[in-house]
Amino acid sequence: MSGGTRQGRLRIALAGNPNAGKTSLFNALTGARHKVGNYPGVTVEKREGSRIREGREYRFIDLPGIYSLTAYSIDEVVTRDCLLDERPDLIIDVLDSTNLERHLYLCLQFQELGIPVVGALNMSDEAKAQGISIDSYELGKILGIPMTATVARTGEGIEELLDLADRAAAGGSDDLHRISYGPEIEPRLAALELAIAADPDFARRFPARWLAVKLLEKDGDALERLGSHRDAAAIAALARESAAWIGTHFGKDAEIVISGQRYGYIHGATRETLRLPGRRAASLTDAIDAVVMHPFLALPIFALTLWGVFSLTFALGAYPTAWLDAFFRWLAASLGPVLPGGALRSHVVDGVIAGVGGVLSFVPLIVLLFFLISVLEDTGYMSRAAFATDRALHAFGLHGQSVFPMMLGFGCSVPAIMAARTLKSPRDRILTIMIIPFMSCGAKLPVHVLLAAAFFPRHAAAAVMAIYAVGVALALGSAWVLRRTALRGEPTPFVMELPPWRRPTLRGLLWHVWENTAMYARKAGTVILAASILVWAVTSYPRHEVAPGEREAMAAAWSQAHPAAGSDDLEAGLSRELAERSMTYSFAGRFGKAIEPLVAPLGFDWRIGVATVTGFAAKEVVVSTLGILYGVGAGKSEGAGLRSELAADPAWTPLVAFCLMLFILLIPPCFAALATMKTELGWSWLGFALAFQLSLGWLVAFAVFSIGTMIGIAA
Amino acid sequence: MLLSELAPGARFRVQGVTIGREVGKRLADMGFNNGVEGEVVRRLFLSGPMQVRILGYNLLLRKSEAAAVEVQAETGQPSP
Ligand SMILES: Nc1nc2c(ncn2[C@@H]2O[C@H](COP(=O)(O)OP(=O)(O)O)[C@@H](O)[C@H]2O)c(=O)[nH]1
Repeated sequence: MSGGTRQGRLRIALAGNPNAGKTSLFNALTGARHKVGNYPGVTVEKREGSRIREGREYRFIDLPGIYSLTAYSIDEVVTRDCLLDERPDLIIDVLDSTNLERHLYLCLQFQELGIPVVGALNMSDEAKAQGISIDSYELGKILGIPMTATVARTGEGIEELLDLADRAAAGGSDDLHRISYGPEIEPRLAALELAIAADPDFARRFPARWLAVKLLEKDGDALERLGSHRDAAAIAALARESAAWIGTHFGKDAEIVISGQRYGYIHGATRETLRLPGRRAASLTDAIDAVVMHPFLALPIFALTLWGVFSLTFALGAYPTAWLDAFFRWLAASLGPVLPGGALRSHVVDGVIAGVGGVLSFVPLIVLLFFLISVLEDTGYMSRAAFATDRALHAFGLHGQSVFPMMLGFGCSVPAIMAARTLKSPRDRILTIMIIPFMSCGAKLPVHVLLAAAFFPRHAAAAVMAIYAVGVALALGSAWVLRRTALRGEPTPFVMELPPWRRPTLRGLLWHVWENTAMYARKAGTVILAASILVWAVTSYPRHEVAPGEREAMAAAWSQAHPAAGSDDLEAGLSRELAERSMTYSFAGRFGKAIEPLVAPLGFDWRIGVATVTGFAAKEVVVSTLGILYGVGAGKSEGAGLRSELAADPAWTPLVAFCLMLFILLIPPCFAALATMKTELGWSWLGFALAFQLSLGWLVAFAVFSIGTMIGIAA
Repeated sequence: MLLSELAPGARFRVQGVTIGREVGKRLADMGFNNGVEGEVVRRLFLSGPMQVRILGYNLLLRKSEAAAVEVQAETGQPSP
């Protein structure tokens, strides 16, 4: 063991149950000095940080929040691998003082690993308020785990905690104290331990006691690790036999018996050291839950909450959005005269500024949406939402916990896809990620708004709402289908702790909003800027040179076709025609013509085809692409201009616009989201998702267009 | 009887978890062990999930998981 000296560096793993306050303690311990990464090979967040105190360096690794050291979930496996393979000098276990017995359950399993453990009795302020008192010194002595009270939110008790850590690390692991599993099981554990210790090389790598217990619990991962032992087969047989004996002796599975023995031991240790109030006073949490989790009202309240989040987002977001919009309009107006004239100016002003500006004006909406969702998350509403929606979601093969990533999906698919990590079963995770793009994200909103305003001017809000509803319906429907085809399997259990309601901290909220928004804003600043320039380039090059005499020929032809037109009309008509020609001649035009057969069945002409393709950079680019493709002749593409331009264009009808909204809704959101999907799920699932979303989008748009045309809506 | 059969407000004493492996182990880890007392707080309509209070904390579980816990219904005074 390294670093046990007074001045040496201490490597400390921070562990505990979810909701114990581990993140808060980690922040209090490390301040701003931490970095976030991933555990190798899996998508579980790994945060590391450090603190210097009296010349000593403490390095902290934040382990995922878990309930037990089994190997059923990724989080548990990650924790186990980290502790066994990296062997930190010390584990600080964060315990919720208001729920001590269950939190000690994990703590004792850490002790069995043979690594010194120190307990942070966190939430001690809440415990005191509830009338719970804990004799931390005595409890620590009984268990052999030094403990001290902390309040992670305020940083109270941290110095004492680090003092204990210093002492515990200097003392090494405590072999005298450990959980006893009772007279029937202990002899069998002893025999297993002896057999394991017989291979000294092996025993150096894995704590014998811990492995013996895990083998009795029939832990698959432990059995695998045993494989490198020289007597692996014999030990495995002995373990099997012992577990079977325990099973018959106690009349239930050995792993259940062992859980029971641990809780029995904990109960004994807390009998003298933990005082609970005589009667549990009805708390504020109970009162709120009586309404929010009401058997019949829970689901309507969830719907109402969702609606409230959206209304508030749009109501409050309208102001900053208008300011930003005005700012970019002003920027375009004042830059216009400064820049050299010609094509470049029109494209910088109309394409780039309008494009990036159009996107950035929607950032306040996204920030607000994420802020409100973070409030729901940090107060504890999301567990209530999972309770309210699990029945309904389960009918479609989803899990109550999918509801949080799905809600984030309305903001931006990237953080939503990452939030699906909270789902413990890989199948649920894949399924949720697969349907997140159907939750219409903030980037698709400008497209919906533009098209709805142009083609459904009197029912714009209703049209956008309808698109959101279609998205949700298709998400659920797809889940149902996928659950019965590509993602068949046993339903995942829904066993979830319900934390009390908590007042969110501003720091926590801002952190969440920042995490979720950063990705989106960065995309707006870089990808969309680059895409706007690229789109401008491919729509302008190669340049179409007008042959001498051709212009005169065109003018003559045009005058013949429009005998009543004046010379101004002639100029406008000519420049429109020329622009049209150079557009068709450009890369984008050639590409659009090439893919036109693919999108023609949906009622789209080649320009719309180009816009849907450039939309892969980011969905907002659809708007700026349309601006460039349609704004050229008119020389203006900002908001109202593009809207009237589209409405007047013969290629567009309300039906086409609606089909485009559907198509945009369903096809994969953007490269950033695809890249995230790739890191989360790997190439083959990404390919599957891509194929699935593209074909669904195409089929739905095709069906709506065909049926619409058939019954004559197009007219 | 089974935990899944209890009505809201019912108090119970756990008799054991009837299945092993993942779900059973998870329930045992969360505190469903012989002799532990608890209370059904509420259930969502249409056999939705239920909220149970054990060991001083609240747990949500589906009917299918609750069916893995054998309990004895308790009457009388809530114990501290
Ligand atoms: N009253 C009180 N609240 C706390 C304390 N520690 C954390 N919290 C709150 O408990 C909630 C969960 O904390 P968090 O650090 O996210 O828990 P984690 O899931 O273990 O990472 C947050 O709302 C925290 O603000 C504490 O010592 N006292």
